[in-house]
Amino acid sequence: MVPSEIRRRKVVLVSLLGALLIAVAVALNIGWIVVSWRTGLLLLVGIISFAVLIAGLALNTAFLIREIRRTEQHNAFIHAVTHELKTPLASITLYLQTLKQRDVDPARRREFIETMLADSARLQSTIDQVLLAGQTGSARRVLNPTDVDLSEVVGECVTVAGKRHHLVNGEVHLVDRLPEGAEAVVVGDREELQAAVTNLIDNAIKYSGERVKVAVELVKLGARKVAINVKDQGMGITRGELKNVFGRFYRIPSSLGARVRGTGLGLSIVRAVARRHGGRAYAESDGSGKGSQFTLELPLKPS
Amino acid sequence: MNRLLVVEDEEHLASGLKFNLEAEGYRVDVEDNGESALERLTGGSSAVDLVLLDVMLPGLDGFEVVQKLREAGSFVPVVMLTARGHTDDVLRGFELGADDYLTKPFDLSILLARIQGLLRRKAWLQKESAADRPDEPETISFRGRRVDFPGQVLERDGVEQRLTLMETTLLRYLTQREGQTVDRKELLEEVWGVRQDTDTRTVDNFIARLRRAVEDEPSNPRHLLTVRGVGYRFVAEPTPPGVT
Repeated sequence: MVPSEIRRRKVVLVSLLGALLIAVAVALNIGWIVVSWRTGLLLLVGIISFAVLIAGLALNTAFLIREIRRTEQHNAFIHAVTHELKTPLASITLYLQTLKQRDVDPARRREFIETMLADSARLQSTIDQVLLAGQTGSARRVLNPTDVDLSEVVGECVTVAGKRHHLVNGEVHLVDRLPEGAEAVVVGDREELQAAVTNLIDNAIKYSGERVKVAVELVKLGARKVAINVKDQGMGITRGELKNVFGRFYRIPSSLGARVRGTGLGLSIVRAVARRHGGRAYAESDGSGKGSQFTLELPLKPS
Repeated sequence: MNRLLVVEDEEHLASGLKFNLEAEGYRVDVEDNGESALERLTGGSSAVDLVLLDVMLPGLDGFEVVQKLREAGSFVPVVMLTARGHTDDVLRGFELGADDYLTKPFDLSILLARIQGLLRRKAWLQKESAADRPDEPETISFRGRRVDFPGQVLERDGVEQRLTLMETTLLRYLTQREGQTVDRKELLEEVWGVRQDTDTRTVDNFIARLRRAVEDEPSNPRHLLTVRGVGYRFVAEPTPPGVT
């Protein structure tokens, strides 16, 4: 039997056991009341202690189930990171050995070097992602805040993401909806904000499938807030998944048709960065196949 | 010219492998997912001599591909490529019918040597006639069983069963040394080719699979015997129970 199946069975078993115990406790409680309704005070004490008992059991079961789920996600994460680290490494090793062992013509050699550079960039971004997840997960506030011009950061992210995914014909474009001459300055960590925006754009591209059309909007919300909206026309998100996607290690089940690689850290970083800057992150979608919009909302620097 | 199929969804790895294998003189096709690979391999016109199969594929993964391939009656040699080097993963691959495995990142020369080794074994089983090796018959029979080595077929009490390349090679190695105890390390070196990284449990795994094919009661083997702490011994005509 496959290990994940065994685990699933265990989860079902534990959940059933918990539910059964709760049912037994409730039945005992009711039975007890029926039998000894005369004994006033004792009855009250009994009801309270039974209620406590039932609540404890329910809590315990819920906690257990959550822990099992977390462990499962954690294992999936280790698996994904192993893959994300080893695949580009295997590719670089293969090309280096090829160059060492064979005579390769100059044009091919250039091509190989480009491939290896792309692979090392992929390695770098996985490592950055893991480190950033550790950093943003531990502290609640940004350590050394500075003034960050968001239009500049977002513009840079759009350009870099387009280049990295070889999308140079405006498939990813910036829509600046700030009022004439207005600036969008926030106080925070430039690198973190850049990483958050990049994660949103990368996701939009990855989950777009063949036809990539991503719009990155910069909008002012009232006098004190600014929002970065990343809209795609990709596979969309079902209602039930909208909140889950921001969970650490969480990945949309592949049964939903997503054949996308990743570590499950990207959106959890976005959420953590948003919170550390006093803002929030959320997703909207009209459902499967209808695209989605991710928003990163941040407070503007008080003028 | 040998024809190889590379099943790998990572574009960079796939083209790097294709380049190297073509430089070695193989004809190479690439599939980037399990479904299309399976379709090609089980389709009527398939003339693939060996498959390099990645485990982590979108959709059908490598394990499922090799399992379905064997179920569909294709016994083409399969080398699995996995990012995780867990013994459990490796054994699972073998259990489902893989012939060999490599963990990523792999060494190019080792990969090429393994491919060559498997193709050589295949040729050795299939092409060389009995005339070249008069002392090594193409078939053997024992107690109602008949093994056709070139055909990779075992017939037991009239029922035919296909064997994978490595199962056939292992069975041949043991039957040629009838009555002798062969230790696990020797089997690893001689049947699989020298390697330090393979767990000797690989051998146990293949023996278990062979027993299911050869023995009446796999849990109570009479032909493929375990020699505790050492290895295995093949016995063609076991003494009936109760006779010593």
